[in-house]
Amino acid sequence: MAKKVMIDPITRIEGHLSIRLEVDANRVTDAYSAGEMFRGFEIILRGRDPLDAQQITQRICGVCPVSHGTASVLAQDMAYGVTVPKNGRLARNLILGANYIQSHIIHFYQLSAFDFVDMEAITQYQGSDPLLCDMKAWVQSQTSTNMVYPAAPFLPRYAGRYLEDPQANILAVKNYLQALEMRALAHQMAAIFGGKIPHVPTLVPGGVTERVTTRQIIEYQSKLRKLQTFINKCYLPDVIAVASAFPEYFQIGKGCGNFLVFGVFANSDGSQSTFFPSGVLTNTYLRSFDHTKIAEDVLYSLFSSPSGLSPSDGETVPAPGKSGAYSWVKAPRYEGIPMEVGPLARMLVACRQGDPPQVKEEIDRLLSRLGQGPDALLSTMGRHAARAIECKIVADQCAQWVEELVPDQPTFQDFEIPESTSGYGLTEAPRGALGHWITVENRKIARYQCVVPTTWNCSPRDDRGVPGPMEQALIGTPIQDENNPIEATRVVRSFDPCLACAVH
Amino acid sequence: MSKLSRREFLSISTKLCAMMGLGAGAVPRMAEALGQLAAGNPPVLWLQGLSCSGCSLSFLNSEDPGPGEILTKFISLIFHSTLSTATGDTAMKIVQETMQRGGFFLVVEGAIPAGMPEACLMRHEPVSALVSRAARKAQMVIAIGSCAAFGGIPAADNNPTGATSVPAFLKNEGITVPTIVLPGCPCHPDWFVGTLAHVLKFGGPELDDLGRPKVFFSKIVHEQCPRFTDYEREKFAGTFSQDGCLFKLGCLGPNTRADCTLRYWNSRTNTCIKAGSPCIGCASESFARKAEFPFYTKIAGTSLPKK
Repeated sequence: MAKKVMIDPITRIEGHLSIRLEVDANRVTDAYSAGEMFRGFEIILRGRDPLDAQQITQRICGVCPVSHGTASVLAQDMAYGVTVPKNGRLARNLILGANYIQSHIIHFYQLSAFDFVDMEAITQYQGSDPLLCDMKAWVQSQTSTNMVYPAAPFLPRYAGRYLEDPQANILAVKNYLQALEMRALAHQMAAIFGGKIPHVPTLVPGGVTERVTTRQIIEYQSKLRKLQTFINKCYLPDVIAVASAFPEYFQIGKGCGNFLVFGVFANSDGSQSTFFPSGVLTNTYLRSFDHTKIAEDVLYSLFSSPSGLSPSDGETVPAPGKSGAYSWVKAPRYEGIPMEVGPLARMLVACRQGDPPQVKEEIDRLLSRLGQGPDALLSTMGRHAARAIECKIVADQCAQWVEELVPDQPTFQDFEIPESTSGYGLTEAPRGALGHWITVENRKIARYQCVVPTTWNCSPRDDRGVPGPMEQALIGTPIQDENNPIEATRVVRSFDPCLACAVH
Repeated sequence: MSKLSRREFLSISTKLCAMMGLGAGAVPRMAEALGQLAAGNPPVLWLQGLSCSGCSLSFLNSEDPGPGEILTKFISLIFHSTLSTATGDTAMKIVQETMQRGGFFLVVEGAIPAGMPEACLMRHEPVSALVSRAARKAQMVIAIGSCAAFGGIPAADNNPTGATSVPAFLKNEGITVPTIVLPGCPCHPDWFVGTLAHVLKFGGPELDDLGRPKVFFSKIVHEQCPRFTDYEREKFAGTFSQDGCLFKLGCLGPNTRADCTLRYWNSRTNTCIKAGSPCIGCASESFARKAEFPFYTKIAGTSLPKK
């Protein structure tokens, strides 16, 4: 008989997520993913000045504010009919790219690594690196005193199999500490054209408010070079080390097998296409993306608004006591089908289209290094690998974009806000496809709807009872010890869930 | 401090308990308190309400000391949802036990959904109830960020959750505990780390009537503005991305107390007004609250003077 296992709270993700599993004969037979926090951004935005939107929606998420700001200004660019000058498009890409790098680094090291890495191995360190000596002394002093929770927040943790090679563990601890500095450096890079981060002030319809100088260009390049070195010398090798030690995770956590990409990073030539192309991949069949095929179900979500609405007509009416519902997350579906979004989706769609070409090259190189076939990507470890590859490609591309900036050329084109208008902005957050839909009446926001990456990935069941992508990925996961369900948390974290985003 | 063996530790604890007239049952707790002192790390419990984690990310941008140094040398971060390895039952046990034990510093990030407790749950328990229980046992509460400090966007007009600030929530619960508010969206890492260090080394800093440390929040943004001379010469920007004072674009610098125009953000890389963005008053008590009080004045519909 199946046993219920609750994992609540799921830590080392953004926000409030709980997972309920049914486990039978050491295998997950059913899974429920629940978003536990609701603020009502779409309701708060109604009646406000439209230009408040890119500032307010950034506060949906402190991890990927730039993506919400980007979706909002793209929606408003469309609504106001403004064309962003080349420097403005590039500056937006450079801010967003910097935050992709920040987000992917923090996800692998701060959020995921200690599911695989044994940080206590630091006590065996014999070298002279000051950072590591400090860390070793700290862990030793903490664990030798009578503290109730020594070495918090790094201990305690689930019992389970961790990386066994002491040198690999020590290196990963070192890189964990270095990653803290690297992600802050990536934030600094975002602030060069973003003003500050989290929550960048410079994103506006028509471009960005910051201007371009040579000093800023070389500052961005200098910080980027350090990050490229870290990505190539630490991040990618660490992902390979973890993937080599835990190859079974290429078989665990496959998910729904459907992938959706809205596309992201404006091409600098001003064309409608994006650097990472849009596309829909179902059972290896690739087709083009049409945003009108999105609808959000709410039968199992804590809302009393009608189910199955398209985001351009979407409504958000909270119903906390709703019978049968178990999550604040809505259930978006594409033509009625659940879709996984995120770096894996982007890399798979780009790989199939051969655009940009470096995606296929990087994927082939990594898979051959790991001795895995392409099917292995549809997995827990495949998500980590895709994220690391994407991080490298985005960093390399930022190096190109920053070269294209022209000092003192405009970054902003002025605009007028019509009495009534509407628009949508489709982009990709680090976690996946992100869309904002805005309707303006009497120069106020009449309707604002967001469909966010984790809304797709962590969605509850839809009206037909079909589980969401992460719920599907959990089903079938082996659980050795129900009191230490580390395998399930590894699957969950591979999606990089962001619950503040998912519910908003 | 030289390191003591466990035996020496217990011996000292026993002597101290005897000196203070406490029974043998108190020895383990005394040893534990000493252990924390020996490690030099006061316990910090970090809870998130209606938050975006932006203040947590901003805290990680701290430099000299950086976050790694703070976690190992300043505080013992008993629980933080984004950083703790402990998850599920283990995490909940840590939170519950720490709350029972008391004596910790409670950091709250995010507003409290006072009108809809189901809008924020942790292990089926409303986070509002958790914050209430934790605050009763905490030696101090730090409300980090504008949502915790003043309510922020979750408490804006038309919000469906009845969101409120942490101080207002505690007052309503009849809880009196020393409370410091650190607004900002997000809170600047220096404001948080500087306040924490002040509390640990010299006791609580001097606060203004809203509970903000005066050392960071006594000055008005406008008065330390990098574009102040433009204001004095009445050179105003007509639209975004122009030179000049941003006042006519709706800059809220004159209404906002914070030192960000001097301190800058992200290791002194940049700051909003320098980057051509009007201050939106993210550290002010009225930040984002009124729908009819927009961030920018560009909406008027009348064309503003162009370049």
